[in-house]
Amino acid sequence: MKRHDIVAVDWGRGPVIPRDSDWTGPEESAVSAPPPAGGFLVARRDGAPRNDKAPALLLAFLAFGFVSCQAKPAAPTIGVAFETLQTEFWVAAIDAIRADLAGRGYVMAEAIADGDANRQLEQVRSFIARRVDGIVVVPRDAKSIIPMIKAANEAGIPIVLFNRPPDPSDARSVAVVADNLGIARATVDHLCGLARKTGKKVKAAILVGDLGDVNAIGRRDGFDQAAAACADAIDVVARIPTEWNQEKALAGVTNALQANPDLGLIFTSSDFMLPSIASALKGAGRYRKAGEEGHVILGGFDGDATAWRMIEEGTLDATGVQDVYFEAKAAIEALLDVKAGKAVPPAILDPGFVIHQGNKAEMAPRMWGARVAGRKAGGA
Amino acid sequence: MRRALGFLGDWGVALLSLAYLLALGPLVPGFLSAPNLGNVVSNVLPLLAVALGQTLVLVTGGIDLSVTATVALASVAGAKVMTESGGAFPGNAALGIAAMLAVGIGVGLVNGLAVARLRMPPFLATLAVMTFASGFAIWWTRSQGISGLPASFRALGGTTPGGAPFSLLVVVPLALLAHLLLSRTVFGRWLYAVGGNARAARVSGVPVERVLVLAYVACGLCAAVAAVLYSARLETGSPVLGQRIFLDVIGGAVIGGTSLFGGRGTVRGTVFGVLFITLVDNSLNLMGLSSFPILMVKGSVILAAAVLDALRERLVG
Repeated sequence: MKRHDIVAVDWGRGPVIPRDSDWTGPEESAVSAPPPAGGFLVARRDGAPRNDKAPALLLAFLAFGFVSCQAKPAAPTIGVAFETLQTEFWVAAIDAIRADLAGRGYVMAEAIADGDANRQLEQVRSFIARRVDGIVVVPRDAKSIIPMIKAANEAGIPIVLFNRPPDPSDARSVAVVADNLGIARATVDHLCGLARKTGKKVKAAILVGDLGDVNAIGRRDGFDQAAAACADAIDVVARIPTEWNQEKALAGVTNALQANPDLGLIFTSSDFMLPSIASALKGAGRYRKAGEEGHVILGGFDGDATAWRMIEEGTLDATGVQDVYFEAKAAIEALLDVKAGKAVPPAILDPGFVIHQGNKAEMAPRMWGARVAGRKAGGA
Repeated sequence: MRRALGFLGDWGVALLSLAYLLALGPLVPGFLSAPNLGNVVSNVLPLLAVALGQTLVLVTGGIDLSVTATVALASVAGAKVMTESGGAFPGNAALGIAAMLAVGIGVGLVNGLAVARLRMPPFLATLAVMTFASGFAIWWTRSQGISGLPASFRALGGTTPGGAPFSLLVVVPLALLAHLLLSRTVFGRWLYAVGGNARAARVSGVPVERVLVLAYVACGLCAAVAAVLYSARLETGSPVLGQRIFLDVIGGAVIGGTSLFGGRGTVRGTVFGVLFITLVDNSLNLMGLSSFPILMVKGSVILAAAVLDALRERLVG
């Protein structure tokens, strides 16, 4: 996904969102009929009729449940559907959203799709059936999210996509996304500067994410742009496909190190693959701190707790940080603004920042991974 | 007593589903609301299509692990044919659906031949096919979903003017067909015979190999029907479609009384088994539980059903 694709969606005026009173529609009137009373005549096996109240009671019970379930939940509720909680980033993100919603007096209904787009569709439909006040989704992918957005649009429920934008369509949503391309490019620019200081052309490798994920594409493009701009300092010799899989990352880096024992720079499209890179480097005897002989210049993306620990110990040179707290706050504010009928742009960019050995003390308080690492160290 | 046990055997899962609905209805917000019950029906139907095919294979004493990969491969094959963004026959939904069904039949044929002719254990044969088909779907699409499916195809994921899901018009006849096949035809009796004792069936003149091949082909075809429904509702051909449904497919069949040892199972049981597992999933979702406790609960329910099946097999034989 290119940046101009994100802003090309025409939704400048924002949707018209029905007020709560609009929800008193046919669904509620349809259940206002009194439960059936009296007994049912049921034929016995011997042919004689008998009066059996059991079916009537059953129906009455069902009707009671049906009526009681029509009532909109008292507390305002936001449905939050994540594709996965596989990495620390997503855990930090859902925690940030939960904290933000709690601070505003909202209840969060949570659903995790475990990587299954169909399951996510079912979860979003469940939110709609529950008539939540808004939906935040981390989509499985940019295409399968479209029918979910349309379903929310039809129900008049505002929907915000967190961290992953949809493909262009006529479905109306707001996407809060990191500037993947810009952050990755800034990070790799920093790594290129370090490569230049070595005085020789450094062999480089990139770990590419799942190319079905627009974030992976943005990060790859950011790397490519920066690498093209510093072709004098680095030579890209390996592009390792990982499909966001740690085992594939480990195998890919191991192979790259065997093919290029003098590999001098590695950029990973996500920090969660850093343990795989560290493991492969250790196997090759190349896991050294910055400034030590044979150090492989390392860069990442996300800003997770592992990245923070490696920056602290000096083995990671830099990582591009997604400002998860900015993204969580922006997503909730966008949701509430849309609900209030205010105009909201279709895409809100998180500019992020680069943390490196030179600014780590200054930027750590803004890095979500540093906070997570701090909590873990504190036993929280 | 025997009559009561027989009734429970026939309708136990249906009663369980009703009891679950009644017990949780007043407790879970929105569970019994009309839109949610509509969601449950929509969620049951494609899953049921896969489970019907799996039931036929389980009755023969086999298992088809490749159904999820069949769903994914059929999905991308059909999407490649009909997508308006550079498809082989842009906008031609009929050819797209035909391609999906052909993929299902093809995968089923490979499975059936591997099990019947090569005498490969069903677990191994279908695991290998699953790995190949899944890898091929991802390689073919470079892991990218395919959108731009024609409106006439996407309509299959919606509802009729009367408000009923279109998928109802597909899956209900499929279920009736499977029911008639199993309960009213010679082929159905052959399936049970092969699952009960393949050697005895062969001695009795049952064409065991042909029966096995046809069972796997039917299973692949059912998975392809599910691929049509899933792709239509997601408006996307996806190489990872259905990756996570296997537990629900097997769970639905086993909870419905289909034996993992072969020779026993009914379409009615599978229908209510799939309904029950979907109700569990839906209610836990509405309770706001994340996927992990949901998986634990579903796993426990399926384990209980499998243990009951094993005990019954040991006691009754």
